[in-house]
Amino acid sequence: MQEDNITQHESLAIIESMINKAKNQFSENGFIYLLWGWVILICSVSQFILQHLHYAKHYLVWMLTWLALIVQIIYSARRDKKRVVKTYTDEIIGYVWITFVIMMLLCGTLTSRQLPPQQYYVANIIILVLYGMPTFLSGIILKFRPLVTGGICCWVLAVAAGFLPHDLIILLLALAVIAAWIIPGYLLRSRYKKQNLLA
Amino acid sequence: MFKELDPILHSQLRLAVMSLLISVKEAEFTFIREKTNATAGNLSVQVNKLKEAGYIDVTKQFKDNYPQTVCKITPVGIAAFDEYVKNLQTYLRQ
Repeated sequence: MQEDNITQHESLAIIESMINKAKNQFSENGFIYLLWGWVILICSVSQFILQHLHYAKHYLVWMLTWLALIVQIIYSARRDKKRVVKTYTDEIIGYVWITFVIMMLLCGTLTSRQLPPQQYYVANIIILVLYGMPTFLSGIILKFRPLVTGGICCWVLAVAAGFLPHDLIILLLALAVIAAWIIPGYLLRSRYKKQNLLA
Repeated sequence: MFKELDPILHSQLRLAVMSLLISVKEAEFTFIREKTNATAGNLSVQVNKLKEAGYIDVTKQFKDNYPQTVCKITPVGIAAFDEYVKNLQTYLRQ
């Protein structure tokens, strides 16, 4: 770009072109959605199977989420190091997910404290309701319809949970993460790859 | 009556830098260079002019032992950009 005199029309074209370049900077590659989507899918289906095999410590499969957390921390630290631009979208989405994590921790701790073990399914219904919130909002902020649909699916499944036998509710978690995180995760990944090919 | 367009902003590269920075929270020098297709030397001069005008903040830091320059628009810069766009609209409406 040269340093020279410009007309008013050229000024307008520069502003428009630069704002578009910044707007199309799509930093979400879907990795975190896929990581958590697959981990929750594996954990919920495994727990369902172990319960039906009458294995007493079926809940231990959820220890896998600690491993996922470590992977996420390492991945996020590496991504932050490579990041050359920070958008307002990234920042708002970050806060949405922080809110979700805090709500999950509070609900998880409080329900496990107050509910007897045989009523753990109530916690799963609350989790379904909570999954919808960050997914729906991220979809709205990113203008990415599959996430919006995924968020709505979580809430529909939460309503369905009210009418199903308790032991099947854990499978709704698996369905929720397929709709909310795994499918949108793969679509985000393909959109990100396409952007990088065009760049 | 037309107001004169801000001479700091009425320049191809400086306007491009400001238009990029108004759209993001902060950006590294390398990102701005890539998006504006400017040379490092020219961009550095123009970034300094914007900094001297108080329109952007420039932070120099080290990341993994490599120097890194992060630019961010200031409230003064946002106000100047807003005024520039308004004046531009007045010119274009005639």
